[in-house]
This record gives sequence, structure tokens and C-alpha cells, in this order.
Amino acid sequence: MSPKHIEDMYDAVIVGAGAAGLSAALGALRSDAVKGLREAGIEPKILVISKLQPLRSHTGSAEGGIAASLGNVEADDWHWHYYDTVKGGDWLVDQDAAKLLAEYAPQTVINLERGGVAFSRTDDGHIAQRRFGGHTRDFGGEPVRRAAYAADRVGHQILHTLWQECVGAGVEFAEEWYVTDLVLDEQGDRVAGVVAYDTHAGATHAIHARNVLLATGGAGRLFHTTSNSWDLTGDGMALALAAGLQLEDAEFVQFHPTGLAHTGILLSEAARAEGGVLRNADGRAFMADYAPEHRDLAARDVVSRSIMAEIDAGRGVADPKDPDGPRDCVWLDMTGIDKDHMEAVLPQVVETVRKYANIDPAVDWVPVKPTAHYTMGGIPITTDGEVYRWIDGGDADAADSHRSIVAGLFAAGECSCVSVHGANRLGGNSLLDACLFGTRAGQTLAARIAEHPVDDPMDDGAADADESAVEAVDAAAVARGDALAALLSPVPADDDETGAADDNPYRLLADLGRVMERAVAVRCSAQTIADALCTLRHEFEPRAAALHAHSDTAAFNQEVTAIWEAQHLVTLANAVLRASDARHESRGSLKRLDFPERDDERFLAHSMIDASSDGVRWQPVHIADYPPQARAY
Amino acid sequence: MSGMDDALTTVTLKVNRFTPRPERDRGARGGSPFAKKSGSPFGGSSSRNRRPHGKQWVQEYTLRVRPEDTVLDCLLTVKRTVDPTLAFRYSCGHGMCGSDAVSINGTPTLLCTATVADWAVRPNPLAQADDEGFRHTGDADDAAANAHEDDSGLGVIELAPLPGFPVQRDLIADIDPMLDQIRKLKPYLQADGVLATTSEGKVDVFEYLQNPQQLAKYEMLTNCIACGVCEGSCPVFAGGDAFIGPAALIAASRFVNDSRDTATASRLDAIDTADGVAACQSVRACSRQCPRGIDVGEEMWQIVARVKER
Repeated sequence: MSPKHIEDMYDAVIVGAGAAGLSAALGALRSDAVKGLREAGIEPKILVISKLQPLRSHTGSAEGGIAASLGNVEADDWHWHYYDTVKGGDWLVDQDAAKLLAEYAPQTVINLERGGVAFSRTDDGHIAQRRFGGHTRDFGGEPVRRAAYAADRVGHQILHTLWQECVGAGVEFAEEWYVTDLVLDEQGDRVAGVVAYDTHAGATHAIHARNVLLATGGAGRLFHTTSNSWDLTGDGMALALAAGLQLEDAEFVQFHPTGLAHTGILLSEAARAEGGVLRNADGRAFMADYAPEHRDLAARDVVSRSIMAEIDAGRGVADPKDPDGPRDCVWLDMTGIDKDHMEAVLPQVVETVRKYANIDPAVDWVPVKPTAHYTMGGIPITTDGEVYRWIDGGDADAADSHRSIVAGLFAAGECSCVSVHGANRLGGNSLLDACLFGTRAGQTLAARIAEHPVDDPMDDGAADADESAVEAVDAAAVARGDALAALLSPVPADDDETGAADDNPYRLLADLGRVMERAVAVRCSAQTIADALCTLRHEFEPRAAALHAHSDTAAFNQEVTAIWEAQHLVTLANAVLRASDARHESRGSLKRLDFPERDDERFLAHSMIDASSDGVRWQPVHIADYPPQARAY
Repeated sequence: MSGMDDALTTVTLKVNRFTPRPERDRGARGGSPFAKKSGSPFGGSSSRNRRPHGKQWVQEYTLRVRPEDTVLDCLLTVKRTVDPTLAFRYSCGHGMCGSDAVSINGTPTLLCTATVADWAVRPNPLAQADDEGFRHTGDADDAAANAHEDDSGLGVIELAPLPGFPVQRDLIADIDPMLDQIRKLKPYLQADGVLATTSEGKVDVFEYLQNPQQLAKYEMLTNCIACGVCEGSCPVFAGGDAFIGPAALIAASRFVNDSRDTATASRLDAIDTADGVAACQSVRACSRQCPRGIDVGEEMWQIVARVKER
């Protein structure tokens, strides 16, 4: 679906159509501000641009649940959820944001249900809830059933329902359009619009907008092995960096311990809960050496680190699908689980192993390795979804340090960082973050539209104020059009010796993923980071800049989009590596082998990094109710 | 297979490719306005526009693979190592996003769930016509087929875009007609529409109650990923007859069977048309390859009965 025509000016453009983008569209259209506009006869001009048809968004792959203290199965309290979220994030969580997350979670889940989500039910007809790692009662006590679920496809249910509601609300989409540029005004403190590439026509468009919301999802494709879809290339984060903005806590990437070898497809934690045991090349059940008490059921980051330590010590195994490949897997031994019981309680795991590894988990050991799963960091936003820059007044605590909001620019979901996940995200909180803060961002955006709507009949020459912004977007669109023409033209003959003609973005993506994996997956040190940065500068940046398409037909030329995605990933990889380098401590998902302890004295702060070489600035964590403690389960 | 790894064999992908001709070339053809043709004297331009403009050809790629590799794995290898211009939709890679429905050996299915072992076929020598144009029948002689094993590996997989939809490029088809048809049937819950708000940590509205038995009546239907496999399998839909299609009817049925929905009567009216349930010929081809295991044909049967019973 493409727009019939492109407006001269939009009230708002939303980039991305997963849970966050769709929630934002609905949040805006259902807001009092938009209701007021409509009563005054003004229809807001909102366009949702998405590089995929919305139903293909990666939200649909979320399996487990969405956390909310509904208390439908047993007593629960949103304060407990608040505490668990802060503790799970290793105290790098902004507590004002986590408080909103927990307090408004029940409302969010109930409204998803009232929108049509087919949640699993209790016998008395309420939304059913299950246990999830790290969710407890009484501030860290016994596990509590807090995750609302829909069998093992809650993400699919939520994504389809949100899209259906958008169909009902008449939301306009530009599908399979890829945003190539985020354009700010000359001072960089107000949004001007975006440049978008219509992959069907193979043409770039200047999209002028008074408000832009980025909801493009995560960046799992930074790594070779990831549970993320092929489209999670960190586009929104890279657009922000290219526009001169910052990323917050970019060094925190969650790895799920049991991806199915190099496919990265998740094998649920339930496999270990039911008796599956991790074994190294010698057959030893090594988790007893790292977590004597919880063993194979220790926290996700602990298990991932233990697996990596075994691999680093040379006790890993090769993926049987690639016997000559690196020995970077370990075994998941499920043969101790009764075969019938396994089929009954782990149908999805069994099916995945059979289908994608072609082995029988009741008989064979299954190769697994940690798989990149979620980016905790992202574009810094306030709890109302507004993107800001952290202005550092000298040191983090200086009185004139502050958040400087970029007028009209918003973000939501995995590409953003409101900092509810801190250094490590709790299961069940990602869908919640996307839906809840997506809705909030949409509401803030609507209020801003109402102040100054495009179709305001009383408009008093405000168009003049837009003029420089319009020019900025037009100029960016022209530049991008030229870049496109260059990509589609044959490689200049004198470049042929460099091998540029043979290179392609798909190969670059695979190579980059291996370098990032070696450098920062699960654990890193100053040396691994420095090596990767060096490779990035000397190999990947020149390669990414030299990429050319191998077909000169622009329509449906997937390689063009892939080239821009590869360039985005290289930009982002640089920021992730430099942020990892700057944090001289180990916290949550970040394990520095050279700084193994958490250091609250120096690093109870968010890293704020931009694309310049100025280094990292530090923003203090918002502590409200729960002072930092040791994180132990 | 000497010199190769034991687990590796080969497969040949025969891909039906298509590159659209740029708009400007189409306009430029014809040169002088006096020479410009208005198409056939019988049908004018409409018949001409129906056929895609561009270059069509079949391309073969022979790859080293493992039998358990998926066809998507193979195509990604082609993009990475052989031909980055090959176009096909894909995203999650494990059967949830619904992007990658194509025709494999003539059967609509998903690239990411189809394995080489399941789909590669050896050329059948018995099916070849001899010099006099006769096709030999009689004893199925396995030895003849096996003789080919060494040079053809696992055999051949033929790929084409999803039937029933206009091709856009290579394996990419325009599935917007399906999405338009789904949208036409108001695929969203129609109930009281009241939403909850929070005050002092408490919500003021609760979920609609629905017991597990009520959920079971439509839960399977909510698993539809709108991939279009059922549509491409349907001889009525893919044959080009006026039919709103199984995917749209599944979406309608999902709400008809949802105890929370209050618009059953108007939903049944909306599909009680010549191109609605009346167009379904109960062929049930739609059930065979559904990647979510929905018995689409049976569901069609049920919704037809619901419409008739009104």
C-alpha cells in the first residue's frame, strides 16, 4: 500500500509499523487532542512509513508474554513489578520511567485485549498469566505469574490486532518504503521531515513533516547469530546518529543463551526448566561450575557468559551443520527428558530442532549458542517520547547539564531508550515498553499537532516558519537521489582492482556480524574492542562506502536497500564499540573481562554517544525509590 | 562427490526471473506520436496492461547444500555469493512473518519452512519423450533414476512467484489485492470500544470476559499470518475468477466466531455475495499447505454453513 499522493506537509510521519509505531498511531488518533481537532473540522495528516508491510514486523515473533500486575491468577502489585524491572536492569534504570511502565501496564494489557488480542484465558474468563524470569512478589521474593500470554505467540496476536485497529481507524501507510534520511533544521533543534525511498517505484521522496516519530526496532543484525529478523538493521538509531543526535546506553545488548546454533532461532528457556542440561565438548555439565545453586536455570546473562567462557577456554563444539566452522557452540542435552513429556510440554522447541537442525532432541544433543536478542539502548527519549540531546555542562552532575529536546522528534520501542530496561531487560517488558511508551509518544505528538495543525483554517503565515525546514528536506532528497543514481550506475573501471565490483551488502553484513560477535558478543575487553574498531575503520567503512548495486533497474531493487542497511549497521557498530569501550565496569549484559565488577561510583550513569569523535558523555541515572543494591537471584 | 564434505551435496534452483522495464522506457517506445500504437484493435490498452512489461527468463543456480537447509537458506547464499540481484521477500526466517510465500515446484508454500530434502526432485527419465515423441511407461526402473545421482546431487527445485498475484520482480508478487480484500471485510473487533484508564494505580475498566471454550472457537483462526499460500492454492482465486479469497474469509470468520464481537449479522451479510462465500467451490486445496496448520477448507465450509443458516 502506497499513499495516493504525497502531501506538501504532514502533521506527523511515523517511521516503523511494529508494536511501537502502530501503538503511536493509535495513541495519536484516539487522543483528546485529535478528537478536538476533528470537532473543529480539521483532519490531521499522519503517514506511517514502513520498510515492511506492517504484518511482517518483528513484533510478530515475540513468543512469551507481556508483563502486567493484573493479579488474575495470584496476588500481584505494580510496585513489585516496578522493583523487579529496576533490579533486572542492574540499577541502570530510570526509575521514573520504570514506575510508569509498571503502573500503566495493566491498562495497556487490558486495552490490547479490548482491541481484540486473543489472550489465553483462565477458567473464569480473565486473561491468563504465567511465570517469567525475574518477576517476583514482595520485592524479590517468590516467582509470580505476571506475564499475560497467548499460547506462545503473543507478539503475533498483538501485532495483528494493532494493525487491525489501524485499519479500522483509517491509518494511511506507505509500505515497503525505506527512510534514508532524518532531516532536522539548520540548528539541529527542530525536525523538518524525512527522505523516503519507495522500493516499488525505486524513487526517493522528500516527506515534509512537523513531527516525526521513529519506531524502527532493534539492531540484532549487528551480530552474526541473532534471533532478530533480517530487517533489524538499527535503521532508526543510525538515522539519529547521522542527524547529529546521540544514542543512550548503546553498549547494552541482551543475548539469549540458547539460540539453535547458527540459525539464532530461540529455543525457549522452558527446555532447561524441563530438565535440559548444557554440556561442553567433554560432555561436562558445566553450569554447576559457574552457578552451583541455580545451574542451568541461572539468569540469562549468567548462562550466556558461562557458555562463552567454555567456548573461550576451547571447550566449545562446532555446529554439526558446519563441522569445519568455529567451535563456538555448546550442547543442550535434552535426552534426559521423557520423550512423551517433551512432546507435550515443549512442542515448539521440538519442532524447531527437528525442522532446522534435522536432529531428534530425544536422542541427539542439540548445538546451541548465545544469540543477539535485544538492544536495551537507543535513541534517548523522555517519558513522553520526546527525543533529546544530553547537554553536558562539564561533568555529569554539573548544574547546567540538561536534556535539550529536539522539537517535533519522537521515538518509541526498541530503537528508543527511555531507560526502563537499564543494563538488562526483563522478559515480558519489551512488548510492554513498545505498546505503553508508543501510546504515550503518540499522545504527546497529537498534542503538538493540535497546537499547529497543517490544515488550520486560521493559519496566520506559519508556513513561513516552515520554509527553511522545507528547503532542508528538499536538499536532502536531492542529495539522496544523486546517491541512488550513483549506486545504480556501473562501478567505475578504475575501482575494479579494489574488488568493489565483487563485493555486495549481503556479504558485508555477514562479515561484519562475525567481527562484532568476536569483539563484543556477551563479553569484551579493551583489546577486543580496539581490534574491532580498527577492522571497522580500515575494512568495513571503505567497503560500505564503495558498495554498488549489480542491477541498474531501480524498481524492487533489494540490493539498494541492503546497501543502505549495511551502511547503517557500520555506523551503529562504531557507536556500540566506542560506548562499550568507555564503560570501565561490568553491569547487566555488558561483561568487561578487564573490568569484571560493577562500579556505581563512576558508572551509575547512562552513556550518551554521537557519531562525532568527541567521546562519551554521561547522564546520571534517575533514582527515585530503590537505591542500588547487589543484583543476585 | 569426491573432494566435498560428506554432509554436502548439490541442488539446482531453477528460478523464474522477471525484471520490470522502467516506466520511462515504456513511454519512450513508439517514438513519434503519429506512429504511436493504441494497442490491439480489439481490446485497446486493457489487455496490454495486464501482462507485466519486462524481461522474463529462467535462471539456474547450482549450490552446495545440506539436505536440511531451507530453500530460503539457499536463496540467501545465492544473494551473498553468486547473484545479489535476485529479488525475493523474506524477514523472520522461521515461518512467523508471512513474507516469503512463493511457488515451489508449482506448490505455494513458504521459502523458510521448505527444506531442500523435501522439495528437490530428480529429473524423471520416464517422463521424457523419446525421439519419436513417445513417453515410455511400464516398469518404474529405479536404477535409471539413480544413475543421475552422482552428477545432479539432490536434483532440482523450481521457484516462481506466488500464483494468483501479479509479479513485480523475480519472486516478489503484489499481494496488495489480498490485503485490500481483508481490509474490505472490517477485520477488527467491533464491541463497545471503551478503553481503560489508570487513576492512582487502579484501572477503571476490565477485560472482556471470555472463557477457554469461547476462545477455542476462533483461536486457530487468529494464527493466520496473511502469507497468501491459501490464495495461491485456490483454483478459483488463482484462476482469476471474482472471489474475495480464503484469506479474507478466514479473517471474517475469526471475528464471527469471537464471542466479544457484536457485528456478526453485518459480517455474514458482507460475505453473502457472488464473489464471497458463493464463489468457494470447496476444492479445499487451500488447506494443504497452510503454514499455520489452519484447515482453511473446513473453515470455509463452516462459514458457508453459518451464512446459509441465517
